[in-house]
Amino acid sequence: MVELLKDQFWFSALMTVGIVVALLTAQAYSIYFERKISAWIQDRIGPNRVGPLGLLQPLADGGKFLLKEDIIPANVDKPLFLLAPMIAFGVAMIGFAVLPWGGNVDLDADGAVDVAAQVADPGIGLLYILGIGSLSVYGVVLGGWANNNKYAFFAAMRSTAQMLSYEIPMGMAIVVVVITAGTLRLEDIVLSQIGDGHVWNIVLHPFAFFILLVTLFAETNRTPFDLAEAEQELVGGYHTEYGALKFGMFFLGEYAHMITGSGFIVVLFLGGWHLPGVPGLQPGDVSVGAMLLKITVMAGKIAAFMFLFMWVRWTLPRFRFDQLMRLSWQGLLPISMALAGYATVLVYLGKSTSIPWALGGNIVLLALTLVISQLRQTPVTGRQTNMPAISLTSPAKAR
Amino acid sequence: MAKITIDNKQFECRDGISVLQAALDAGKNIPHYCYHPGLSVVASCRLCLMEMQMPHPKTQEMGWAPKLFPSCQTPVKEGMIVRFDSDAVRDNQKSCMEYFLIDHPLDCPVCDQAGECHLQDYSYEFGSSESRMVEQKHVTPKKDIGPKTLLYSDRCVMCTRCVRFTQEVSGTHELCVTNRGSRNEIDVFPGLPLDNPMQGNVVDLCPVGCLLDKDFLFKQRVWFLKSADSICPGCSTGCAIRVDQNEETVYRLKPRYNPDVNDWWMCDEGRFGSKYIHDPKRIASPHLRRGLERESANWEDLPEVVRYRFEQHVSLRGGDKVAVVLSPMMACEEAWLLIKFIRGVAPEATIATGFIPTDGEVQHFPAGCDAASAKFTIRPEKCPNRRGVEMIAEQAGGTTCDFDTFVTSAAGGAFSAAWIVGGYPSDWVSKEFGKAAAKFDLLVVQDMFENALTKLASVLLPACAWVERDGSFVNHAGKIQPFERAIRAPDGANRDGQYLFEIAGFEGVYSAERVRATMAMETAAFGEVLEAPLKPAHQH
Amino acid sequence: MIDDQDIIIVDEPELTATERLYLPQIIDGMRTTLRHMFKKTITLQYPEQKREQRIENYRGVHRLNRDEEGRVACVACFMCQTACPAHCIHIVGTESPWDDREKYPLQFDIDELRCIYCGMCEEACPVDAIELTPEYDLVGRTRDEMILDKEKLLEVFDRTVALKPRKNPKISGYAGTGDRDGCQSAGGGQ
Repeated sequence: MVELLKDQFWFSALMTVGIVVALLTAQAYSIYFERKISAWIQDRIGPNRVGPLGLLQPLADGGKFLLKEDIIPANVDKPLFLLAPMIAFGVAMIGFAVLPWGGNVDLDADGAVDVAAQVADPGIGLLYILGIGSLSVYGVVLGGWANNNKYAFFAAMRSTAQMLSYEIPMGMAIVVVVITAGTLRLEDIVLSQIGDGHVWNIVLHPFAFFILLVTLFAETNRTPFDLAEAEQELVGGYHTEYGALKFGMFFLGEYAHMITGSGFIVVLFLGGWHLPGVPGLQPGDVSVGAMLLKITVMAGKIAAFMFLFMWVRWTLPRFRFDQLMRLSWQGLLPISMALAGYATVLVYLGKSTSIPWALGGNIVLLALTLVISQLRQTPVTGRQTNMPAISLTSPAKAR
Repeated sequence: MAKITIDNKQFECRDGISVLQAALDAGKNIPHYCYHPGLSVVASCRLCLMEMQMPHPKTQEMGWAPKLFPSCQTPVKEGMIVRFDSDAVRDNQKSCMEYFLIDHPLDCPVCDQAGECHLQDYSYEFGSSESRMVEQKHVTPKKDIGPKTLLYSDRCVMCTRCVRFTQEVSGTHELCVTNRGSRNEIDVFPGLPLDNPMQGNVVDLCPVGCLLDKDFLFKQRVWFLKSADSICPGCSTGCAIRVDQNEETVYRLKPRYNPDVNDWWMCDEGRFGSKYIHDPKRIASPHLRRGLERESANWEDLPEVVRYRFEQHVSLRGGDKVAVVLSPMMACEEAWLLIKFIRGVAPEATIATGFIPTDGEVQHFPAGCDAASAKFTIRPEKCPNRRGVEMIAEQAGGTTCDFDTFVTSAAGGAFSAAWIVGGYPSDWVSKEFGKAAAKFDLLVVQDMFENALTKLASVLLPACAWVERDGSFVNHAGKIQPFERAIRAPDGANRDGQYLFEIAGFEGVYSAERVRATMAMETAAFGEVLEAPLKPAHQH
Repeated sequence: MIDDQDIIIVDEPELTATERLYLPQIIDGMRTTLRHMFKKTITLQYPEQKREQRIENYRGVHRLNRDEEGRVACVACFMCQTACPAHCIHIVGTESPWDDREKYPLQFDIDELRCIYCGMCEEACPVDAIELTPEYDLVGRTRDEMILDKEKLLEVFDRTVALKPRKNPKISGYAGTGDRDGCQSAGGGQ
């Protein structure tokens, strides 16, 4: 058995099975926790009737999705209609293939590293995630297009514009990490944050971390950027016409996407499976026990981000579309470009791991942003400019 | 024309009318109970009192006379100056209203008049909100004064309009005032109930909830009712009426003022004689005969089927074997459309005017008077539009005949195809006619109730009651009067005008007004209807 | 029509530099929601637990009150039907069999599904015959079942009268009607 697993292929196969099972469970329970957290925030109890503490709720929901009538409305583009939820769900799942879960492992304890606790370890792992991430917009666009519903179509259009807009600052924020680490391989990016003189990228580039976090909210269609599902305007958004398991797949896909995104940000900025100073979580610890510990830590960090996602959702209201676009093109994009530029300068000066240099630059940038933002006094408003205005501060007079 | 000044404004008014009528004509809201333009003036309610300028007896200087004058009893005079907006007039109105309400039971929630009650309206507008009456109210019993009318004495304001109506218009003198002073009451003589053929008008005349209609009693609250201006189809007089309905149920008919025809009145026969509208036995869907079986048809295919059958018949037997019978219950527009169709498929077709139902003698009112001095007439010809269909048939030209000639020639086998329109509220098919009709190969019958004819029909079309149609009737005097639709046709039925419109080859939605505009090109008289106002000025 | 001069356009207040970053506000909001996460919940476990009710002015299922003799107090004046903004009351009035009132409802239907429980019917009633009760758990399997007729509405009264007694049990018939007994006939009666 152990011999078989020493082959990376079979080890990856085992990990795939493990991850898929864990992920599906995690998605289902994400929905449970989403409801629980929303309830707690609103001083309620949340699901508590199905099983102890309502823990069987996801099972009941799953059963319901399975057993509901599978309606395909008339006049839909049937192949695309069926394809859309599969894309949304599938794409969100395959992003996990390249996440480094537990570093290198020595399975038979003979001192030699046998396998990497990762499904696949391509040299361009980062690029792979970006590519897969961009694919996810297809689920939304096809879903909106295929069902021949104008509201769904609006949602799809919004979603496309939003994803395209936010992919650019996201790319720029990632470039900061790539330049600092000098590699696209995810395991190497984790390792680059570990060791003497190295710190987690969040310490070096908090600004880039924040931009990546914001763009991830947008990419996963989560509040405050969930304009594609704005019920007040668009009924159910792009999945208006979907029911039963097909809706379930969109629903689960959303959570899968969040989990991938969280894993991604953990790897890029929070040192992946690493916790500084904790024995068993260093690159040198290759035992099976250490691997399991690393996986737990990684999962814990992801869970923390999931909590953040939900916490934000039940706190912030939705952006208006023009505000959304403005934030991306006029806010995040220039800042992230400046950050990427600054990262290259740091590399050129050989100071890419120097905390004072990196942090100092970030602070200067923040100050600059504030100054520029103060100087450009275009109000963020949707008001028509041809209407004369009366200020709130001066008493209103009838004209 | 006299020029008078009311409330500092000059008005021109007709000579010989009262100041009250002049003020009402000028659009002023002057409260009054006893005054009614159709009855004599008694000036008993004192609610319409006004102030008037008069020369001072000594100085001959013009000034407001210290005393108030009843405006209903004062005829207009050139240069007269009166006013209603003074404190004295308002005080009088207020006191009068308080007096009227002394013994009033204030049972508006259960009173049928509530909503169209002049006690309510005037006390809201001219009265005071509180009563100073502390004594026990004088309660008088409710009286059953006739087969159709109830009298609630305690709501009465003693305007005596009803008494004057029975004396002056119906001429039957059933009602009278009994007792004196505060014990005043309206009553009938023992053993002589209020049962003249026009008695329903006393309910309309009553400005309060004292006289009520048993037929309408407790059926609806008046504010739920929606009205349509219509013409009574009961006889050839053609009274202007108002059809009051709610949720597609006709609850009552009320007369509408038309000085040329019926003034303010209508007869009980017209008022209560249209219960057949909501008869569940009415034919409500079109039927086609296939062999011995009768199956229901659908409206979409019908125009084509009917046209095809007639065309086929004409090509086999010839157009002179075709006849159409226009019922005097039809509106002119419908008759015109039907002729349009029949002349389209068979130009030689015979046009016959339909069966004329008659009943009784001419009744002039006041009872016993002659035609010249009659204020109201009930005619024996119990259909609204004989003159109209005759006019249309005449206009169409070609072979025309009356109903008896038609029956005789049909019995002789002169026709093999016929379109017969009925629409009478009762069975009208005589034995001879039923026998004659059996000879037709193609028989289209348009009727409201099943009879001998409908059993023979190859195509049976439901006829609608007049409240479900719109069009125009021509009364006995040749006056063309349009009427509006009040309710929808029963489920499954279609307006006669609509399917005749389609059968005649027109497309779209039938509107009597549009058809009339086309008819006016052929008959100038119908052009005049279009220009004449549908709603004569209302007189309360 | 709204005149131009009646329109007052209010501009959004200008944001300060930090506000334009959104972050302080976002953090503020998240602190608030975090605080709430640890607060005591206010959920009641219905139907095991039930809330204490305001009997007097709770607007639940309607009832038709009975007078002291057990007859329906309604005088079929249609005031509730008139006042009802949802058009859910349907009355058929007729002459009452009793001497002390003119009119009574032959049929009195309330469509509880259409009703918006505004209480206007209760306000409009001149004889306090229709009232809203504290009963709120009215259920049915069909729409027809949810149209309560006169008998069912009287049953609601019997059910709830102990909990919420009639405000003025003396009211019976229409107060102003008086005694019109001994309807005189002139021989022309029906």
